[in-house]
Amino acid sequence: MNPFPIAWASLRRNRFTAILFLLIVALAVALGIAISAQERALRIGSARAADKFDLIVAAPGSHNDVLFSTVYLDPTAVELLDPAITRLLFDEPEADFVAPIGFGDAIGNDPVVGTVAPFVDHLSGGLAEGRLFETVNEAVVGALSPHAVGDELEVSHGHGGATGTDADAAADAIEAGEAVPGGDGDHPHITIVGRMRPTGTPWDRAIVVPIEYNWAAHGLGTGHLPEDTHIGAPFDPDALPGLPAVVVKPKDLAAAYGLRSAYRTPQSTAFFPAEVLVGLYALLGDATAIMSALTLAAQALVVAAILAGVVAILDLQRQRFAVLRALGASPLFIFATVWIYVAGIVVTGALTGLVLGWGAAAVVSDLLAQSTGVAMRAEIGARELSLVGTLVGLGLVLALVPALIIYRRPVVDALR
Amino acid sequence: MPGLPLAVSGLRLAFAGADVIDLPGLAVAPGTLTVLSGASGSGKSTLLYLLSGLLRPDAGTIAWADTDIAKLGESQRDRWRRKQAGFIFQNFHLIEEMSPVDNVLVPIWLDSFSAAAKRQHAVNLLRQLDVPTERESVAKLSRGQQQRVAIARALIGDPSVIFADEPTASLDAATGETVAAVLQRLAREDGRTVVVATHDPALKTLADQTVQLDHGRRERTP
Repeated sequence: MNPFPIAWASLRRNRFTAILFLLIVALAVALGIAISAQERALRIGSARAADKFDLIVAAPGSHNDVLFSTVYLDPTAVELLDPAITRLLFDEPEADFVAPIGFGDAIGNDPVVGTVAPFVDHLSGGLAEGRLFETVNEAVVGALSPHAVGDELEVSHGHGGATGTDADAAADAIEAGEAVPGGDGDHPHITIVGRMRPTGTPWDRAIVVPIEYNWAAHGLGTGHLPEDTHIGAPFDPDALPGLPAVVVKPKDLAAAYGLRSAYRTPQSTAFFPAEVLVGLYALLGDATAIMSALTLAAQALVVAAILAGVVAILDLQRQRFAVLRALGASPLFIFATVWIYVAGIVVTGALTGLVLGWGAAAVVSDLLAQSTGVAMRAEIGARELSLVGTLVGLGLVLALVPALIIYRRPVVDALR
Repeated sequence: MPGLPLAVSGLRLAFAGADVIDLPGLAVAPGTLTVLSGASGSGKSTLLYLLSGLLRPDAGTIAWADTDIAKLGESQRDRWRRKQAGFIFQNFHLIEEMSPVDNVLVPIWLDSFSAAAKRQHAVNLLRQLDVPTERESVAKLSRGQQQRVAIARALIGDPSVIFADEPTASLDAATGETVAAVLQRLAREDGRTVVVATHDPALKTLADQTVQLDHGRRERTP
């Protein structure tokens, strides 16, 4: 037997309703897919963004705040790390390099971040253009920065939209007339000398200056003796100011855990970005699991509602099925025809929803990447396929209901 | 395919405790046109549904040659109709979303996945009945043409028995006469057994046998 031509004809008979049902299923599925794919894209993107920040050492406080400030350049007020701790870090034999991170200024909406050249090289994996900064008034820009190599920029105090940082507070202190040794509070012009490769982090929009510029601009000295004009390590232990965060590149895994343990003291904290993200993802994961379950339940309700509509529509075609019975169709043929009719709507709707959901997630990912700087790419994975598969499976099982209802309709009554 | 003889005996069917069909006996020879006639509610369509196996009697036998379909289960009766019978309805009951050729092929799909081998046969049947085959939908055909598509659909499986339920009732007189002539030809020239439930006098005049019913009982046999 071949029930497909009859099922197809029945779908064409109520084509607009069938398309409407299909779109409702598609939208319900797309919603679930978009949420799921977007959540994963956000998670993977944010995790990748933190990859190069091996170990972060900061003043005791919220790991989340330090992580968001350091990796995602989210302007958040954080305590400054005691310079004594920074001195110890610079002397660590288990570290490949120690990168002080300073922030608090901006050019337009682009953050100005202070650090050392080895960290720029580590983060970017070499430059796409130009060279690393070699003097205090030079800078490199992130891959997505609108500024070109050779541009001269004027840095404004404070971060766009920021509520203030401790560096801000220091600068405010200067402006209020409180002396900060070695600092003058000026923001001299900087010259762009290089462009980083894409990192998939908000650093792609940053203007990265030597940490000395950051300190000096806020009246905190340069970290070197006054007559010392070189930038980067080694710093003068007695001239080091406080820092929002220090990124440490341990020599190996054992060193990483050793350093993490060693700097978890009353004066400092040390953490792997991954461990903070894992906690956040666990929270997000619970919410996602609940949302996924709710989405699936909503989708199941949509399918059930559509099946009720299908029964009503197919009931209008009961005479057609009765005629088929009169022509010799077996009850199985009628059952299969109705089941294929319903399955056609559910499966096509679900697959359309998969594509729509993926498209929606891709668009949202793109918008989020533009607004956060965190590179993210929405992809359809096993979870989304499983979601669609579950819905399709549920739909195919529920499709048995209208099939049974239509199949049990008395033949002769419908023929009269 | 040659027609089948029909032998009915002691046929009874009751709804809600009252007999709607009570037919002690009926014999139909192959190659004949038998008309079941009577007023509305006389039971002629019910008898047609019994003879075709769509309804199962409470008692009696409906023997088409050696097969008593009254004793067959539902799926066996479905199979018997698929193999042995063709059905024509008052309102044609074609599938509007299909072409004339595909409508004719519907009975083939009830049994086989592919109807490709029968497609040319369907086209030939439609041509014999003077129905244009190139239309995308049967909805674009006249009513007379639609009824002839329904006849072609009944014939595609080369059945021994043709059942027709008021086949001319929704046609004008001229078209009705044409359809009646086709049914007569199917009996007399092709040798099929044709059983028609109708109140059309034109068909009665062509019938080899008329079973006049009144409240489910046979009134007279001309």
